[in-house]
Amino acid sequence: MQHKKLYIVVSFALLAVVLISLGELLWGSSGEARHWTEWMFYGICHQLPERTYSIGGYFMAVNTRCFGIFLGLWLGWFTIPLLSSITKGKRWPVWILAVAVILQIIDFSGNMFGVWENTNHTRAVLGMILGITVPVAISDLFYSGKSNN
Amino acid sequence: MEEINNTEPNRTISDFWPSIALVGSIFGVVIFALGLVFGYMQIQSEPSGAIFSPMMFSGVIVCLVVAFAGAMAIWHYTREVTPFVSLGQGALIGFLTGAVLVIISTVLNEFWHFIDPDYTQKVIDSAIANLEAMDVPAETKNTMIDATVESMRSQQSIFSQILYGIPMYGILNLITGLIGVKIFGKKEDEETF
Repeated sequence: MQHKKLYIVVSFALLAVVLISLGELLWGSSGEARHWTEWMFYGICHQLPERTYSIGGYFMAVNTRCFGIFLGLWLGWFTIPLLSSITKGKRWPVWILAVAVILQIIDFSGNMFGVWENTNHTRAVLGMILGITVPVAISDLFYSGKSNN
Repeated sequence: MEEINNTEPNRTISDFWPSIALVGSIFGVVIFALGLVFGYMQIQSEPSGAIFSPMMFSGVIVCLVVAFAGAMAIWHYTREVTPFVSLGQGALIGFLTGAVLVIISTVLNEFWHFIDPDYTQKVIDSAIANLEAMDVPAETKNTMIDATVESMRSQQSIFSQILYGIPMYGILNLITGLIGVKIFGKKEDEETF
């Protein structure tokens, strides 16, 4: 495996993203003001309360789909060392990433036009699928050829 | 894909900055402009009670746009500097593009408050009107209104916004930068003479 330092740094960065995205559930409430974890995702996620997991009035910092994406990214990152033999030089990992993106668009559109009604759980699962496919799509970069960096 | 060309000179940060600055600035302006467009659409919309308000579209579309900045910076770099880009270079370009994007969009947003000081209040009033028209139980409605008002009124200094924004925008664009390396980068055996 190449780029081990980058691999480790990104895995910790993604863990930080997941932990911060847990918002008030992990870090406690900040009272009336916007929680510091919500500020960190401000502009990245719409953070609508009704589309965000909550327990006892404590909310995550991101909505369910974003949380699924971040969790999927982190979990998928650990598959990189396992995937080299089946993804190296193949095009299908990029295609499944494209399919995962299209799935989000279909789900969002179907819900918006009233064809079906998605739920927090379905959004989280679909988001997680997208998140997992990203590391799968780039996994062979950690194994291809020699590098000068 | 991975850079493996031994004749390729060692690249420094100064080789990356044009792509980082250009793409980060463009995306920063685009995000600022999209936020304004959807903000004023929200202000001018009739309160329908629909969950798909202009501000919600703003969140979704801005998120999608943000996610492409890292990959686009790699695309620009591979076109203007060299088609060979390593994974580490892609990660750095992506992260810094996210940082530039945050700085530009935050500064422009602050600037807009001088142009239209009532902008935030008008968006809050419109969002409350829309929430009040929603067909949900009163208790739920009140909770949603309180949460929305609380989040919109809550303000941070420009430096805090940048400080909070850079890590997440940076990491997100670092990831899309890696995707950009995969899509736009070139392997040595793909080089044509």
